Amino acid sequence: MSKRLVGKINQNTKALLVGDNPFHNISHLSQERTRFRDKTVTVPELAADLILTAVDNGANGFMFSVSETTLAILRVLREKGRIDQLCLYAIVPYAYEYVRMSTQVGGIPGLTKKIVGRIVATGNLKALATGFLGFLLTDPERLLKTYLIYEINRIRAAAGKRIDLESVMLHEVITDLALALNLDSIFKAHIDYMSELGITPGFNTCNFVYLIDRFREWNIDLGQVVVASPFNKVGFQMTTSQENNEAALRRLPKPIVIAISVLAAGYLKPVEALEYISTLPNLKGLAIGVSNKSHAIETFKLVEQKLVN
Amino acid sequence: MSGENSKVAVVGLGKMGLVHASVLNVLPGVTVIAVCEKSRLIRRFARKMFKGVEVVDDVEKLEKLGINAVYVTTPIPSHFSVVKAIYEQRIASNVFVEKTLAQNYDQSQQLSETARRLGGVNMVGYLRRFYVTFNKARELMLEDELGRITSFRAFAYSSDFLGTKNGSKTTASRGGVLRDLGCHAVDLALWLFGDIQMVSGQPTQADGHSENWVKFKVEGSALEGEFDVSWCMEDYRLPEVGFSIVGSRGRLEVNDDQVRLVSKAGRSSVWYRHDLNDSVPFLLGLPEYYREDLHFAECVSNGSKADPDFSAASKVDKIINDVEKAGGKD
Repeated sequence: MSKRLVGKINQNTKALLVGDNPFHNISHLSQERTRFRDKTVTVPELAADLILTAVDNGANGFMFSVSETTLAILRVLREKGRIDQLCLYAIVPYAYEYVRMSTQVGGIPGLTKKIVGRIVATGNLKALATGFLGFLLTDPERLLKTYLIYEINRIRAAAGKRIDLESVMLHEVITDLALALNLDSIFKAHIDYMSELGITPGFNTCNFVYLIDRFREWNIDLGQVVVASPFNKVGFQMTTSQENNEAALRRLPKPIVIAISVLAAGYLKPVEALEYISTLPNLKGLAIGVSNKSHAIETFKLVEQKLVN
Repeated sequence: MSGENSKVAVVGLGKMGLVHASVLNVLPGVTVIAVCEKSRLIRRFARKMFKGVEVVDDVEKLEKLGINAVYVTTPIPSHFSVVKAIYEQRIASNVFVEKTLAQNYDQSQQLSETARRLGGVNMVGYLRRFYVTFNKARELMLEDELGRITSFRAFAYSSDFLGTKNGSKTTASRGGVLRDLGCHAVDLALWLFGDIQMVSGQPTQADGHSENWVKFKVEGSALEGEFDVSWCMEDYRLPEVGFSIVGSRGRLEVNDDQVRLVSKAGRSSVWYRHDLNDSVPFLLGLPEYYREDLHFAECVSNGSKADPDFSAASKVDKIINDVEKAGGKD
């Protein structure tokens, strides 16, 4: 078990999160790599063991897209009685699943039917009532709320009601689309609803600088949100440039950023990657995926050494 | 289009329509002023999502809005009638169409001819021409790193329909795997190697509605090639296109993520996206969407030819048609 206080991330504790990409067999460096690597890490029991190994070596949370795979991992962690050692950062929707579904069912109308069917099947009256009104009034904010109720219920059903759900973050596809279309109401609706639930509203974005600028323009209090965005030594996926991202970080009122893509999808070695991360101001923490036991031990020991000590 | 504020309409608000409308909205000097969508429900949401944008149910209603350019992102079978209406109603002379240009070669030729006659900028959304990896491969070939190209093998795979029922309405409406996915490989081949013609081909799993797997051979000037296309492949979580190219000086492997050059002497060099300046000012989904839309916008702005234009894209439809005919599908 971690020597530090686990499951409680406060202003003085960095969020050291295990990322879920390896558990979905994702590599942003090369899809080819995923076809030849050991896939046992996608088995929920083994993935849960890896997360616990990371926790024993300094990690204190899990950042995951809400999918059947990650929900199964949460179930295992709950059964092992160790779910309360983790702060959970959930990203919704699991975009890949919905894009694939929309391809199979004939685009957005087919996808909508499918999601409505799933929500109806849960029998969640609150979600149904909000969703019905949302459709009736064609109200995107109400529909977002319906969807969030549905996803949070899925998480709680798998992980238990007493989990430390630190943040629910909108996936980059939603965040960046809403940014491009200037849909401040979507951001505000998410913040309001999460705040009602006592959960930190979060946003996963590939356009960090743009998001910070827009939030300021829309008078959104940056101190009340958490943002997950790529930060790495080679500037991979850091729009518009690494320098601009670093400058935007420096201007933040407090640490609100969870650095993701820290290893630039496996392009960087952990030592050089973490040396760069340790120089950045206003980071609330980071998320790194681990794909085997030794990787989990070495990476989080190094994280603790570079970022905590 | 970039220099002055250009007014754009997007026809079809599916996945691709939303992506293009969003990217266009952040391009400097471009404003999306209208969207056209047949579904009443989507139109109602569009009115909430697209602030100050005209939302209509018919292309003809885009007339007199002072539109400079139209993006057509409807399903492939409707491309011909929508683009024809845009030109005939003089809605705009600059037209971008998502791939493929049309449902068959005959329609593509007609659209290509109309575009040539009426002028303006026209372009088809073959996104992979904007991938840094394929650009690097082309650059290496132009620098003669491979010497004389003798053969290539191309693949376009996805797991999109792995485990789903054969012959669904969806696979048919997407035009089959060759038109939906394989077209990217065909377009890249034309871009990398110049003109090629089909010499033999057949769908290997015909099911009455669409084919799930297509293999065919082509030949060009002193060059032969093979294509292997499937949307039922295991372990292709995301669609992927790739080439293995053999030249007199070495071999080159390129796909969506990386380029590997192996010289005859066995020296190997690898480039990932990270090495190839893949950054864009706004990233939505893939960086290529930004580069593609920026290219079209700049061509409209300077009146230059976009790449690939209708004429280039109709060559893709010609090869697809030839393969379909060889497989008994007309």
